[in-house]
Amino acid sequence: MRAAVSLWLLWTLLPGTVSAAATTPTDPLRSPNWAAMVERHLNGGPVVFDERVQVRMPQTAEDPMSVPVEAVVEGLENIQEMRLIADLNPLPLILIFRPTHADPFIAFRFKVEQSTPVRAAARTADGVWHVGGAWLTASGGGCTAPSYGSGSGLWRDQLNQVSAALWPRGEDASRLKLRVMHPMDTGLAAGIPVFHVESLSVEDASGRELAKIRTYEPVSENPVLSLNLHYRGVVDVRGRDIQGNRIRARVAP
Amino acid sequence: MMKAISVRGTVASRISLWCAGTVLALGGGVASAAGVTDAMIKNDAVTTDQVLTVGLGLHGQRHSPLKTINAGNIGDLVPAWTFSFGGEKQRGQETQPLIYDGKMFITGSYSRLWALDAKTGKMLWDYQHRLPDGIMPCCDVINRGAALFGDLVIFGTLDARLVALNQDTGKVVWNEKLGDYKAGYSYTAAPLIVDGLVITGVSGGEFGIVGKVDARDAATGKLVWSRPTVEGHMGTFKGKDNGITGKTNASWPGDMWKYGGAATWLGCTYADDVGLVYCGTGNPAPWNAHLRPGDNLYSTSTVAIDVKTGKIRWSYQSTPNDHWDFDGVNEFIPFDMDGKKVGAKADRNGFFYVIDRANGKLINASPFVTRQTWASGVDLKTGRPIESGNRPGDPSQASGEKGESVFSAPSFLGGKNWMPMAYSPDTGYFYVPANEWGMDIWNEPITYKKGAAYLGAGFNIKPLYEDYIGALRAIDPRTGKIVWEAKNDAPLWGGVMTTAGDLVFTGTPEGYFKAFDARTGKELWKFQTGSGVVGQPATWEQDGVQYIAIASGWGGAVPLWGGDVAKKVKDISQGGMMWVFRLHESGADVAKN
Repeated sequence: MRAAVSLWLLWTLLPGTVSAAATTPTDPLRSPNWAAMVERHLNGGPVVFDERVQVRMPQTAEDPMSVPVEAVVEGLENIQEMRLIADLNPLPLILIFRPTHADPFIAFRFKVEQSTPVRAAARTADGVWHVGGAWLTASGGGCTAPSYGSGSGLWRDQLNQVSAALWPRGEDASRLKLRVMHPMDTGLAAGIPVFHVESLSVEDASGRELAKIRTYEPVSENPVLSLNLHYRGVVDVRGRDIQGNRIRARVAP
Repeated sequence: MMKAISVRGTVASRISLWCAGTVLALGGGVASAAGVTDAMIKNDAVTTDQVLTVGLGLHGQRHSPLKTINAGNIGDLVPAWTFSFGGEKQRGQETQPLIYDGKMFITGSYSRLWALDAKTGKMLWDYQHRLPDGIMPCCDVINRGAALFGDLVIFGTLDARLVALNQDTGKVVWNEKLGDYKAGYSYTAAPLIVDGLVITGVSGGEFGIVGKVDARDAATGKLVWSRPTVEGHMGTFKGKDNGITGKTNASWPGDMWKYGGAATWLGCTYADDVGLVYCGTGNPAPWNAHLRPGDNLYSTSTVAIDVKTGKIRWSYQSTPNDHWDFDGVNEFIPFDMDGKKVGAKADRNGFFYVIDRANGKLINASPFVTRQTWASGVDLKTGRPIESGNRPGDPSQASGEKGESVFSAPSFLGGKNWMPMAYSPDTGYFYVPANEWGMDIWNEPITYKKGAAYLGAGFNIKPLYEDYIGALRAIDPRTGKIVWEAKNDAPLWGGVMTTAGDLVFTGTPEGYFKAFDARTGKELWKFQTGSGVVGQPATWEQDGVQYIAIASGWGGAVPLWGGDVAKKVKDISQGGMMWVFRLHESGADVAKN
């Protein structure tokens, strides 16, 4: 594992030449956990707070099991990946998104345990994380409750089934919205082991990657995701959960 | 926020996940270049520093050449460490640990798997398979062990999946379906790995499934061949038809073969000199044999399959037209007897068979239990049992719903059940965990319904003797004679192991893990593990120390199906623990662990 981590660091640092001495700037959201988040989920930085990276969501979580969020980057070019983090969730990392041939934009829903900052960090080609975010007020409990699917016992029949739609947006772009049926259990509810979708990739008809998403425990049950693809036409969705159950779907406009 | 150690809990594994498909592929390849090879698996029986197979070798002899621990010093055998399986899911623990590269791999109830540091017992990672509510295991939520290949550890689950995980990280590499759990399929036996193929059977014989043996590419999980064990069903090889098993309707009437049972629920053994995989098959379905006149091939048999072609080379049926649930699943253990290449099997029906392993010809059959009501012997010329007319009556000929009830011994739980025997090339004896019990059994009408129990019989189990049910017996395969026996109050349900130290190890429902003198049967040592022992022992050597491990945790079929016998075991505490023993040295030395 250690070897893998160092390779990863190498890979992330290679594209640009960034001063390793960069210090973490003061967190405008004043989260007690921010330094740890940078260390654990942003490879230690470098980090800049940047208003061009935005997290759009309600101020208050009406349903802590399902908080709708849009993360969007406007005016920054060449985004390599985006990471979504809720500092004060028991499992802070929500998802990682690689917009290979897509806008640096993703919409999703997630589970929140208590009031927390929600961040989007977008890494540019020079290795710098551009971070934006906002506070979410929540009464809590979203991460430690059993999923509805697990409670009803019906989750197995629909596991990893995909519903999706594509809307053309001009000549060579489209919006993809998809839902994958999965209980997305966090492992924090008593007696229910962790079980969630691990990866989803969206490919064009020739197998070229358009976008790739790694999802973690906080993503809401039956994940619903929206992306803006730089492509118009039939796409394939491929993925799996952490127990190796496959996800396969073809979506036509 | 989460458990300190879990499948995917560390920061390191989180970060690396993203690049698993790209950069990690390079790094992973280097790290796992060694891995478990086919040659290492074939040498497992004579290798002492690792345990790569359930059965301590592909032939399943369960014999270790280690003799550091022997009759002279076994009094100094003490616990080195223990590990709790945790949670509230304490049910039958029938696993055997595997040891490789300093790690121990164990499976537990409810399709769980752990990797531990073999020397200290420290947990490295765990995997809890997500089970649907509708699983249908007939006989407790047990698992009997995993298999190792390359950098993978592979095990079957109660929802009939075969899951391969990375030995270092616990991350799932592949996950394939063995059968439809809603139709009653599940899997609990340890997979067998031969020449890069992972070979599995299926469980579910009480639900009218169709038994089969599958061989998959162990690295990818991709199916290579599949061989149904009921006559009339088509086999496959690399996706193409590979011939029907047997001849349709030769030994089954009408459509009855379509739900014919013959579940291969105890897996297989292998003999490299003849290239054959030996898989036992369970009862034909339903239990009511009046509905299926004929031999009902290949139920209650040992089926020898050519590992290269997926075709049946020979089969031997121990209970034709089975009427007593005498599954023929018991392990067929290849061994050499007076220079002859043979194999032996102690069957549920109470006979101990010695069979030519190349061609399936019966050499000898002798009782290993005191009472057999259903047959007086086996005709060595035809290989068929000499029946004594002890079949339950036909309900269609009866005035009420039930046919005439008969008393039968052994009971349907068998003269011997799943718990594997051991063979010592040093003494030349087999060590058979036998049980003495009988049953009242009667037949009822039944029709097949997907996912429903498909029996057509009722039963009640009874002990044959006041003072014991279990008896560990040493059998000389040359004569079929019982050389010694060690009786036990409750039924034996755990596996047996023997070592070059002239010791025989097994456990009891009363909680004891015991060692016997392999030549005399004298009990030399016992240790109370805190719950009933139904696991399988293993032994290995690390840094010059011989270790012996056994899982403790009461469960299995006896408490669920045991009738009057269940009363005898109803007060046994549940458990879920791995116990590891070594010879006592000074306190300081042990503390260094």
